[in-house]
Amino acid sequence: MSTAETPVAQVEKKQKKKTVQWGDDPKIGFVEALYLPAIAGGIATALKHAFFKKRSTAQYPEQKPEMPPNYRGVHRLNRDEEGRVKCVACYMCQTACPANCIEIIAAPAPQDDPKWANRDKFPATFTIDELRCIYCGMCEEACPVDAIELTSIYDLTGMSRQEMIFDKEKLLSVFDETSKAGLDPVRTNRGALGPASEKSMQSTDSPPPPGRGKHG
Amino acid sequence: MSTVFVNDIEVEVGPRDNLIQAARAAGVEIPHYCWHEALSVVASCRMCLVEVGEKKPDGTIAMGPKLVPACQTPAKPGTVVKTETAKVKTGQQMTLEFLLLNHPLDCSICDQAGECYLQDYTYKFGKAQSRLNEPKVQRLDKYHIGEQIALFTDRCVMCTRCVRFTREISGTAELQVVARGSVEEIDVFPNKPCNNKLAGNVVDLCPVGALCSKDFLYKKRVWWLKSQKSVCAGCSTGCSIEVDQNEDHVYRLRPRANPLAQGHFMCDEGRFGFKYVQSTNRLSGPTSKSIATVGVAASAVTKFNGNVAGKLFQPADLAVVDHWPAAIQEAREKIKAAVDSSASSFAAVFSPMMSVEEAYLLASYLKGLNRNVKLLMGPVPVVGEDDCYPKNVNGSAPTAEKTKFTIRAEKCPNRLGVEKVLKHFQGALVPIEDAIQGAHGIQAWYFVGGYATPDDSIGWVSPSIAKATEPAKLLIVQDIFPSVLSKRADIVFAGAAFTERDGTFINHSGLAQAFRAATRPPQASRADGRILNELCLRQGLYNTEFLRKEIASKIPSLESLSVGDLGVHGVELHQLVGAHL
Amino acid sequence: MNWYEIWAELWPTLIAIGIILAVVPVVGLYATFVERKLAAAVQDRLGPNRVGPFGLFQAIADGIKIFLKEQIIPSHVHTFIYMLAPCISLMTAMFALAVLPYGPTPVNYFGGLRFIVMPGLDISLLIMFAISSLSAYGIILGGWASNNKYSLYGAIRSCAQFISYEIPMGLSVIGVILVAGSMNIETIVASQGSGDGISGWNLWWQPLALIIFFTSALAETNRLPFDLPECEQELVGGFHTEYGGIKFVLFFLAEYTHVVTVSFLTTLLFFGGWHFPGVPSEVTASYGILALQMLVLLVKVCGVVCFIMLLRWALPRFRFDQLMGLAWKGLIPLAMLNLVFLAVFESLGWHRWPLAVLSVLLFVAAGYWSAWQSQSFVRKASVT
Repeated sequence: MSTAETPVAQVEKKQKKKTVQWGDDPKIGFVEALYLPAIAGGIATALKHAFFKKRSTAQYPEQKPEMPPNYRGVHRLNRDEEGRVKCVACYMCQTACPANCIEIIAAPAPQDDPKWANRDKFPATFTIDELRCIYCGMCEEACPVDAIELTSIYDLTGMSRQEMIFDKEKLLSVFDETSKAGLDPVRTNRGALGPASEKSMQSTDSPPPPGRGKHG
Repeated sequence: MSTVFVNDIEVEVGPRDNLIQAARAAGVEIPHYCWHEALSVVASCRMCLVEVGEKKPDGTIAMGPKLVPACQTPAKPGTVVKTETAKVKTGQQMTLEFLLLNHPLDCSICDQAGECYLQDYTYKFGKAQSRLNEPKVQRLDKYHIGEQIALFTDRCVMCTRCVRFTREISGTAELQVVARGSVEEIDVFPNKPCNNKLAGNVVDLCPVGALCSKDFLYKKRVWWLKSQKSVCAGCSTGCSIEVDQNEDHVYRLRPRANPLAQGHFMCDEGRFGFKYVQSTNRLSGPTSKSIATVGVAASAVTKFNGNVAGKLFQPADLAVVDHWPAAIQEAREKIKAAVDSSASSFAAVFSPMMSVEEAYLLASYLKGLNRNVKLLMGPVPVVGEDDCYPKNVNGSAPTAEKTKFTIRAEKCPNRLGVEKVLKHFQGALVPIEDAIQGAHGIQAWYFVGGYATPDDSIGWVSPSIAKATEPAKLLIVQDIFPSVLSKRADIVFAGAAFTERDGTFINHSGLAQAFRAATRPPQASRADGRILNELCLRQGLYNTEFLRKEIASKIPSLESLSVGDLGVHGVELHQLVGAHL
Repeated sequence: MNWYEIWAELWPTLIAIGIILAVVPVVGLYATFVERKLAAAVQDRLGPNRVGPFGLFQAIADGIKIFLKEQIIPSHVHTFIYMLAPCISLMTAMFALAVLPYGPTPVNYFGGLRFIVMPGLDISLLIMFAISSLSAYGIILGGWASNNKYSLYGAIRSCAQFISYEIPMGLSVIGVILVAGSMNIETIVASQGSGDGISGWNLWWQPLALIIFFTSALAETNRLPFDLPECEQELVGGFHTEYGGIKFVLFFLAEYTHVVTVSFLTTLLFFGGWHFPGVPSEVTASYGILALQMLVLLVKVCGVVCFIMLLRWALPRFRFDQLMGLAWKGLIPLAMLNLVFLAVFESLGWHRWPLAVLSVLLFVAAGYWSAWQSQSFVRKASVT
């Protein structure tokens, strides 16, 4: 062959052969053309479900469904081992929030209170507008201290917009309720800081506090 | 001038530049902590280690065997700098790892996070992991280190910029390095806190989050702040600054390096003295004694007198009725009537807080009505004497040639600019104190204030001025705070503070600098330029660039403003004027 | 005829009308309940179970709710026709019930007791068809008066569907009329009586007619799989898109009344009415037997109703061209052939049993032909 086709030209030629593909109506066979077997099949399926399948209905208000532990529902603000709010008011969640529903006002930790001696900064107010929230979970992704978490509480209702704006005390009470009820959310990376993480600031002798990952 | 080669880029540098500056000229960043343009060189942080060699006249390059600190190496002709080699990179990584050995991982609560050189350099030049197995050294925070500054001791990288600042710039030498080795830390002498008038600068100087401003502490994360280049209105030095604001709330002022104005720093008086801007006592809108709508206006105004500064939501703002057109219209008619009845008994008082543009607008408008209208220079606040730094060991001021920073006694930004405008329109400068002596015969007044008197019920008005204006038939006041005058005034215009206006200030040495609005004026108050623009019935919007060109064409002594855009450093008047003469 | 005779004729009629008027809405409401329960069962759910025992009062609650709803009349509709359409719809649906016997009526009426509004009418089946064809008016007027494209599409579809399916329906019923020799529904039922109570049903020698009739009837009632006039996916709500509250309920009620009518007709024409093994087939004056016969009829009707509801969840909706193709290319020729065979048998006086075999053969032949057609069409298409 004197005029050898380039591979690209060959491919183009191949594609030209089948530029449009027409779909045909499916062929109807004899049994299909009778309709009745298919109708009987349909009725049989319906009857099978009507009589032999288990009902999947849950009697909702009396019988609550078990949510998966990584469900993203109402937020909570975690407490640390000493009962203080775990949040350090770093504004990471507020920065990450795509719905602008978090508002924090930070303040220096109370210096005269020995309980707060090893903390510099804490949230004076911490407000989440649960109506504006889209429950995307970016806040807990962003949180460097695992302070904000989404619980599996899904049935959040209220009679006014005002009561759907959760302040710090309300969010902490969500933590108290859920931790008491054993509904702590399961998070894959909880407690695992980045590779630049350091060991516990407290004391190397004491074991890491419970609920934290290998990095403490 | 000498030629050096930075990563094979050939650059011309000045005779006293070091290699960091040479690299900067070539567009190459050499990381550094301890070196600062305004301070002496100590080469203690070792972050700027680079490979340095020499290009021989025959073209061969001989590199040095060791890494050398770029800050300490002068840029001699033929110097060859390499910042990208593996040797340099390893050096940077090891230096950073060493600096971070005892540095706590508390970026989440550190105010510096977001503008921290440790973060930036670790990201750009560092390595991700620390090999430290032992517990980190923990040290107590020192909130007592100064009235305005707090020291988070374990964040410190011992660059000693702050120590050198107190020794070289303020001359007060409060800060020291105490102890040695891994427990080395910054401290003050017992009961001798760092409270000099320039102390706030150590916060800016600190490349990490060790020294924090107590005023700004935990108020806002820096990435929320938006900066606007402006000029400090605290004194006639006219420090170039950045105004950092978020949602119309000014959180802090930072000095902006300007060799023509003040250098690198600013005083604490200016740095923390901006708070009056967000005072709840501000005038909140136009008021008038005679317009029927004033009742509505007043009620609307009182409704918004609550503290709204810094609040996220001000939904009621939308409900405010705009009373400006009526108030300005009334003022215009009354001024016209007063000038028509007796021009020489109408006086306008110009405040040195006004910008050049505002002074020009008002002066040209009034002189356009009648040439006999009196233009008076308002009170120029002067407190004490000029405060020069660095102080010597006895705390006394240095000689003029050794002065590195001056806090002026004249506590207003633009006396010079307003004077130039008044001189042009009136020939001679008449201070208000001269005009009100004896039987002055002035019946109608237009006062412009703008002074920072948030908590003063009398305001900036001296008793003699208050007495002289008592028999006035017409009193119009344009101000930001209530004073005895505004309480008596027929019409009050609520103006704006320097962070809310655009304009030009001319400092003590004749440097014209542009300042720009960082926030919006609170509630229903308006930028003074806009008020005057509408009062004068000028076409279009208030535009400083355009006005500067107009002023330059009308007033010979301000011809330098013809550039319109004054740039980040401003324009020095006398140079250009001198060149023309 | 004196006044007494008129009155004697009038009051049982009024009572029968009253019974229908009273019972039909309740039946309609509870038909929705049954349908919801059935749908739930097919879909592995429970269905309404909150109001009353087993959710039995749900239908009443729904009724109360829907009666209390705000009566919205959109601004862009033709108000008078818009209001009229659902009334026509329900009226025609109810009127069709007038000729349906819901129990055997003795010749002497038992001194007035009877189970039909119009007894002894010789053309009752004809009236039935005439009236039920009118129900298309309600839908078409409703769709047109709504002044909405979806409504109009629904109405036009409905119109085409009604006209198309009237034909096979009529043709299939003619066979039954031929067999019984009467158009009186009561006579048709009586003709299906036999000693064993089951061998006389028209079903046995008219299976094909039954299939055609039932299919057409489904199409007439706008039920799945033939609910093209109101299919949500294509037409939002079809002809009743703009209707809400009580006006919507009237349409809804009409549809369920149609279902009941169709079920009655199917039972009466093909499933032997009140005839059943063990139940005396002759019409007697005994209340017990009468009640038993009525029960048999109602059970059969309920069975057909449930079957129609079940079909809704068993079959997917037809495409519109398939719908029309089925009527014109499938049901009408089949019904005609079926009628020809039956007419031949009847006129020659042959025994009817071979008709059943013939019906099946006809059906199978139609299926085979259809499959062959389809494949040959595909063959041709692929050649060109």
